Amino acid sequence: MITLTNLSKIFRTELIETHALREVNLHVEEGEFAALTGPSGSGKSTLLNILGTLESFDSGDYLLDGKSINGLSDSALSKLRNEKIGFIFQGFNLIKDYSIYDNIELPLRYRGLKPAERKQRIEHALELVGLHARRHYLPSQLSGGQQQRVAIARAIAGKPRILLADEPTGNLDSLMARQVMELLEQINQQGCTILMVTHDPDQARRAGRNIQIIDGQLHDSTLYEPLAAQSA
Amino acid sequence: MEQFIYYLKVSFKGIKRAPLPYALTIFILSVGLGVFFANATFYYQLNRDPLPQKSDKLFFPMLNLVPYECSTDCKTPSVLSYNNVEKLSQTDIPTQAAAMYSADGYLRQSADQAPLPVSIRITQRDFFSLFDVPVLHGSIWPDNSARHEVILTKSSAEKLFGRTNVIGEKLLLDDRNVTVAAVLDTWQMLPRLYDANNRNHLSDADDIYLPLETGYDMNYLSNSQSQTFDDTDYRQLSTQGRTGALHQLQYWVQLDTPAQQQRYWQFMANLVQDEKAAGRHPSAPNNQLVAMRNIVSYFGGESSDIKAFALVTLLFLLVCLFNASHLSLNRYLSNQYEFSLRRALGANRSQLQLQMLADVLLMAIFTIIGALITGFAGIKLMNQLLPANSLFSNWDLPLLLSLLAIAFVCSYLVTLYPSLRASFGTLNQQLKE
Repeated sequence: MITLTNLSKIFRTELIETHALREVNLHVEEGEFAALTGPSGSGKSTLLNILGTLESFDSGDYLLDGKSINGLSDSALSKLRNEKIGFIFQGFNLIKDYSIYDNIELPLRYRGLKPAERKQRIEHALELVGLHARRHYLPSQLSGGQQQRVAIARAIAGKPRILLADEPTGNLDSLMARQVMELLEQINQQGCTILMVTHDPDQARRAGRNIQIIDGQLHDSTLYEPLAAQSA
Repeated sequence: MEQFIYYLKVSFKGIKRAPLPYALTIFILSVGLGVFFANATFYYQLNRDPLPQKSDKLFFPMLNLVPYECSTDCKTPSVLSYNNVEKLSQTDIPTQAAAMYSADGYLRQSADQAPLPVSIRITQRDFFSLFDVPVLHGSIWPDNSARHEVILTKSSAEKLFGRTNVIGEKLLLDDRNVTVAAVLDTWQMLPRLYDANNRNHLSDADDIYLPLETGYDMNYLSNSQSQTFDDTDYRQLSTQGRTGALHQLQYWVQLDTPAQQQRYWQFMANLVQDEKAAGRHPSAPNNQLVAMRNIVSYFGGESSDIKAFALVTLLFLLVCLFNASHLSLNRYLSNQYEFSLRRALGANRSQLQLQMLADVLLMAIFTIIGALITGFAGIKLMNQLLPANSLFSNWDLPLLLSLLAIAFVCSYLVTLYPSLRASFGTLNQQLKE
């Protein structure tokens, strides 16, 4: 589903060049749940942003569903993000003065879905994250864990094939983090490919695969038994 | 449509987040546009063509038929003597022609009433068709002969009689009996280009109209421009005015085709040549035939004050645009995170531009309201300071539509750069901020 070939990213300032990613080669199959781990500044988030087409890369190639995203126009990238990719950010990135419902509706609006379909998808996503009763609340009226669940609902309402999560539990306490992880696992079991940046080894272990990045290079790619299989 | 309503809601949310900077942006833009609107109104009205369908067909002939040899000031007089008009009237080349001048008088219904000061246009029958003057009641004089019949404007009729259908009513014009032959419908030719040679084109229209021959019979002298070239006492206009060298008449002709214009030009040249041959015209020929559309510039009647003020207000508008744009940029940059989030979630640039259009629309609506209020206040103030220009402070539909379009363009300009800046940043960085 995702294939990166010799992908490099350099951040340049007037004085220095920082090689954020060096010749990264990676293949992710459809339906995988992969954790991106590594020390701070190793390039995990950069890789996730490139995968989400939020950031460009300097060399190499990125194939999504067998098609290179190189040279795609801004509009094509927007369409791709809107239809295939869902984002979960560490800071939730909800619009503060929009209701939960309106926040989840955002990506659906830009896809041009009809109101009835938007409503049906939003309500389904809200039910999945258990916040249907609070759909008219503002984000500030929810706890951190609930806000992250709203962000997850927004990400999955568009029925993406890939879910990119950048430290989705980074701002949450352990109980809420566990709830979010369970939700992600549930979404993955429905066939959605998930790539998640995390510092937490336990969470990495819960993912089926751990992709470790050190100094911008893919250092190790460990396959774990799926958690469900382990517990069985 | 549903999506555009959504964009409008998003715009309202944006305003609610930072109402003060938004209000300040609107205020600055409204003041700049309001001042510009006020001045543009005067500029437009002063420079508009009051008869666009025939301003290139109406001509103002001037003959250098003066009884002295020109040595220093050889400018052709802009007014003609009665004699000259008679000579010019001998041809049937023009479709229509009328001589005219204005005078002051007093009008009342009866001797026991207080007289009403009036401005009298003393003219010939073609005046009304030359300048497309509408008639409400009665009919224009059938010919150019003397008759004690006046034509009233609608407002004069209402002022004197309290009604408009006053055909056949008797009046005292400077204590001489006259009858009302016609009442004009509402008519305001602005600027009154037929009076541009006297620099009176920015003043109000005359109150009543009197036949030229009657005006001479009643010894009305021009209240604006007249020139004499002898020692004759022209206060006895009825006797001396028709034969002497008193120049006080304006003359307008309608020449519909270039061939007609050429023929008339030749006619004027021949006329002067004949006068010269008869020894009555010692100066070199210097005839002029000025089209109505060029008459103001020919006589240098363009207001330099208005031009200078137009430039100043335009510069002021640019300064306001710059400041409003700067404020708008700050507002958009503070919302950049949301722009980026929308892009990250799949909004493409054309969708963001539509969002921007909704912002522009809202800003334009608020700005237009503010600018119209400011502009209206500006006009009122200018009318107080320059009462003579108050006739030119009206908003007609084309002007109003132009002003609205300008306000929309300004709102667009103020929003364009900031929104582009906000929507073309690096997504990832902005999402972190």
